[in-house]
Amino acid sequence: MWKLIKLEWKKNNIMKYVRNAAIVTAVLLVFVISMAGELEMTASAEGNGKALLNVTVGLFVHMSYIVFTGVMLASFVVGAYEKKTMNLMFSYPISRHKILLSKVFAVWIFNFIAMVVSKSVIFGALLLTRPLTHITTGIRFGSLSFWMEILVESAAMVSISYISLPIGLAMKSSKAAIVASVIIVCFTQGNIGSFTLMNNLFFYAVLFVTAIFSVYLAVRNVEVKDLL
Amino acid sequence: MPDILRTIQLSKSIGGKELVKNVNIHVKKGEIYGFLGPNGAGKTTVMKMITNLWKPTEGSVELFGEKLTPKSYEVLKRMGSIIEFPCFYEHMSGKDNLRLHCEYMGYYAPGSVENALEMLELSDAAENPVKSYSLGMKQRLGIARAILCKPELLILDEPTNGLDPAGMKHLRDLFKMLCTEYGITVVISSHMLSEVESIADTIGIIHHGEMMKEISIKEIAEMNTVYIDLSVEDVKKAAYILSDKLKLGNFKIVDEQNIRIYDSRITAKEISKELSLNDVGISSIGRQSESLEDYFLKITGEGAN
Repeated sequence: MWKLIKLEWKKNNIMKYVRNAAIVTAVLLVFVISMAGELEMTASAEGNGKALLNVTVGLFVHMSYIVFTGVMLASFVVGAYEKKTMNLMFSYPISRHKILLSKVFAVWIFNFIAMVVSKSVIFGALLLTRPLTHITTGIRFGSLSFWMEILVESAAMVSISYISLPIGLAMKSSKAAIVASVIIVCFTQGNIGSFTLMNNLFFYAVLFVTAIFSVYLAVRNVEVKDLL
Repeated sequence: MPDILRTIQLSKSIGGKELVKNVNIHVKKGEIYGFLGPNGAGKTTVMKMITNLWKPTEGSVELFGEKLTPKSYEVLKRMGSIIEFPCFYEHMSGKDNLRLHCEYMGYYAPGSVENALEMLELSDAAENPVKSYSLGMKQRLGIARAILCKPELLILDEPTNGLDPAGMKHLRDLFKMLCTEYGITVVISSHMLSEVESIADTIGIIHHGEMMKEISIKEIAEMNTVYIDLSVEDVKKAAYILSDKLKLGNFKIVDEQNIRIYDSRITAKEISKELSLNDVGISSIGRQSESLEDYFLKITGEGAN
């Protein structure tokens, strides 16, 4: 499986995604630092500077990577059906389940690592620039719970994005998969007035289970299905 | 010689539409099998089922003596194929596409990629991205990929699409060479009969999803396939002389000038003499062999249209 995942990265030009992830991280970093003054003022007024910063960084990173994952799923999986390269893949002496799962894992692993790295870089940069920005970070790089939070959140957010996969496959459209991931962002990260589902653990649990079911739907009948 | 590929009452329906029905194919080891049929006859459907991309609605496929099932992955190692048109990772070079293919097939013979590229005259373009290739080059790269891992069976669906006449000739020679020197069995589908005629050992003719005939080229040659083509000024008078004076029954008026005589008892000289005696001007007369095209048209009834 690991070999298949590496081949997926190779043939889908993973360096292009590495570069794009680096650009996203840099843009987010500049954006967060530019908001430092405003965040500090809000934090002072509400007395929750640490939480506000974490939420702000988390919000932007999650939004970016849910869409990023959707884009990669559209390219790695839906696009392979669209461009008929899946016909070639299914002519290899490898189980179709394995082939599809290698694509699914290739996208998941990349985005999980990229999200963790992005958050670490942004938090690290905020910490380093604190003498200039005077922002109250509350970032605890030495704390296990801080890293656990980053890892769990990243895993959950990347997984949730997989809900877009069966939508793209059913509609036979990469664009549909990407649009679906944008809608997921609106649902999970948006708010109407003071109402938001961002902190609702039950909601995230439902989305997570839906995401797993989505992957199951994508690979369910692949062994006996005709490639039309 | 044992059958390397056999289909038994192979049928496929999609959305209630019957694409192929009860197709029986027998391909012997080491032969070139021409799978012929007009566009839309069901050639690609059958080939998709042989390569396990589509599953039969009824019937079965036997490859290398084993029944093909959805989990028959190992037989795919012994096959090379092009179905419809070859797909590539366009941003990668031709060489990298072939290397990738070797990785997936688990085939690591040194120099095999270079050899395949050379055989298909693609060495000069090997490092260029596939997106810069012409249609013909992509087709040749597809064939290079199909033969790369030295398969025992090659399934090629209209492999000469997009090639110029020289390219087609080159491929015909290549298929012959692969068959004779490497013992590779080749199944090649085409709607261009001339393309298959010169290389196939056996042909199967499919029409409207049904197998019309499976016959060796040798058998076709041995059948009643010789005729005299006669071109005259007055076709009605000539036909009258042929039937009344020469007592011939087996001839056909092709058009306003041409008659085709299938009766083997009479010579062109005798016909020529009788027509001259009756003042029928002859433009040309000569003995011809029935081509595969004629045979194909006879079987499919397309000639009547």
